[in-house]
Amino acid sequence: MSEFPYDKDRRDPRRFDRRKSTNVSAHLELLSKMSGHLAVTLNIEETIQKALDLIVQFVKAEGGALFLLDNRNNTLVCKASVGPVDIHGITLNTGEGIVGQCVAENSSRIVRDVQQDPDFDHSVDESTGFQTRSILCAPMVGHFEKIGAIELVNKSDASGLFSDTDLLMLQTLASAAALAISNAHMAEDLVAQERVSRELELATEMQRSLLPTARPAPFPVCGINLPANEMSGDFYDFFELGDGRVYFSLGDVSGKGMDAALLMSKTASLFRCLGKTQHEPHVLLATINRELCETAIHGMFVTMACGLFDPASGEVQLANAGHEPPLLHARDGSFTATPASAPPLGILPLVAGDDGIRKETLQLDGGTLYIFTDGVTEGDLANGKQLGVDGFTAIVRESAGLPAADRIEAVVSRLGNTGRSRHDDITLLAIDASTTCLKKDITHNSAPMVALHTFPARASELQAAREFVSKACADCGCSKSMATDIVIAVGEAIQNVVRHAYKDVEAGEATLEIVCKDGIIEFQLQDSAPTVDPEKLKPEWPEEPGPGGLGICIIHDIMDEVEHLPAPSGQGNLLRMVKYIESNRNET
Amino acid sequence: MKHEISQKQDSSVVAFSGEIDLESSPAAREILLKCFESTSNVIVDLSEVSYIDSSGVASLVEALQAAKKNGSRFSLAAASEPTRRVLELARLDKVFTMYDTVDDGLTA
Repeated sequence: MSEFPYDKDRRDPRRFDRRKSTNVSAHLELLSKMSGHLAVTLNIEETIQKALDLIVQFVKAEGGALFLLDNRNNTLVCKASVGPVDIHGITLNTGEGIVGQCVAENSSRIVRDVQQDPDFDHSVDESTGFQTRSILCAPMVGHFEKIGAIELVNKSDASGLFSDTDLLMLQTLASAAALAISNAHMAEDLVAQERVSRELELATEMQRSLLPTARPAPFPVCGINLPANEMSGDFYDFFELGDGRVYFSLGDVSGKGMDAALLMSKTASLFRCLGKTQHEPHVLLATINRELCETAIHGMFVTMACGLFDPASGEVQLANAGHEPPLLHARDGSFTATPASAPPLGILPLVAGDDGIRKETLQLDGGTLYIFTDGVTEGDLANGKQLGVDGFTAIVRESAGLPAADRIEAVVSRLGNTGRSRHDDITLLAIDASTTCLKKDITHNSAPMVALHTFPARASELQAAREFVSKACADCGCSKSMATDIVIAVGEAIQNVVRHAYKDVEAGEATLEIVCKDGIIEFQLQDSAPTVDPEKLKPEWPEEPGPGGLGICIIHDIMDEVEHLPAPSGQGNLLRMVKYIESNRNET
Repeated sequence: MKHEISQKQDSSVVAFSGEIDLESSPAAREILLKCFESTSNVIVDLSEVSYIDSSGVASLVEALQAAKKNGSRFSLAAASEPTRRVLELARLDKVFTMYDTVDDGLTA
């Protein structure tokens, strides 16, 4: 049975003996001293050397060594050594030798005469010249994982043999050391994790700063980027050139990790830097491709569309390398896709031109060009289905009256509030020609637009505005009686702007745009007054004959289509009225 | 908008010409209401009115209401095509007493 003093003393305090009492308090003192060292330091190497010194001294061994398990290659490495021979740094295989077996079997060993023990490995003695007689070895286990073992050699008293008490003592000390080492490992991991997470935070911040700052309307380009994780593999950018044109780009790097994010940052920087001097978008993409190919890594690539928008002409010059086809939402409500002419960037050398990256010219004609990553079309809706291109066009169509920034926000909000985690970054860019090109469109639009009249919203301007309408009706071939009706209806509409819309604010301008095409004459009357709730603009005949609300009723009576919309610029009201034309010929 | 007032028998004939819109309707209203101070029958000659909007119609309605209130008569005569159309659209062509000519109004 155990000679360890605690048990006997606890069983019968009367048998307490001075010699053993000294022994117990010395044990406790050592344990407390060692635990104190182990608890306060995070420097494991230094601490375990100190612990081993104390243990060797206390157990009265000639030497000792502390081995830690290296899980990567299943070896035991000597991390501290005390005694005549320094074996610090030597490596043993787990399962081999007495130390190896201790760790493998998670059991202590006491070997009183190594010469009689078949497990003893003589190689160390042979190489060092040391003569091992007896061994004491205890494994270290902390938080349910094997950590290593402490081995003591040759008791240095007359007997030269370790006792069971020595073994128990070593086991206790080894447990304390194991716990401390395990804690220190965990602390190290935490510190490393903390550092990585702080670095990730900085990288996220840095990456967000690469995105352009939103510009208020009527600036024609706006975008959104919603990363699935901290870092995004998508990007968009836009900036103005000196001549008023706006350069824009949107890209998607294959993959989603930190490597994708870094390649994204590189590509975005190349666009911004080279775009300042290279004003041909397809040549720019070819140049970026060359750069990416030169430093290609792990087969990563970038799909990217970029282009130049000229607000003066409403024209976009677009180049697309392997990216989702941008969609043009025209004023007539139709959508047109522009598929990529070249493969993604970073794979093959590409030339600018018909054999490689082509330049496409699009006339936005007051419409909006949308460029997006597959995270948008493949994004999950609340019902679990993917949005798809059809879902995308449906949302855009529904929100057609809103400013472009609100339209792309509407798309993203459908994807963002599903309660599920996103698996891809969501990035969306809109180039909106409706605000900037409205007036210029009139002159060079393919549709036969008739006229545009901008005037201060004052009573004294009404007569001139009506004359403008009357002339337009004549130009469109309206019959005389129809022209009379139209002048009455549009006159009421303009009068409402003057009398009601600007009632509480200083009178601003109103714009009347008249378009005549395909047998209809369309009037768009826009003001910049506070937005009026369309619910309040429904025709309702007064119960008593009188003038209240008369204008609206007259407009609805005369016009075939009447629509109250928020102004596309975000402020004001837009009244759209359509009359189906009966020509002069029908009247005669 | 221009106007001319003539006294014929015991009636006042107010002949407007041009356009009665938001800009001129407050003046039209003043002219008509003032006529009732001196006469109990007001006929409005609309033959030379090329356009009237809802605010102009509102002035006519107000004059009609004033006449009813003090037992006077108020009628419209010789309405031009555009004027007639607006009154029709406003569903007020049956509310006003309308004569084809000013003379019809005077002899009624």
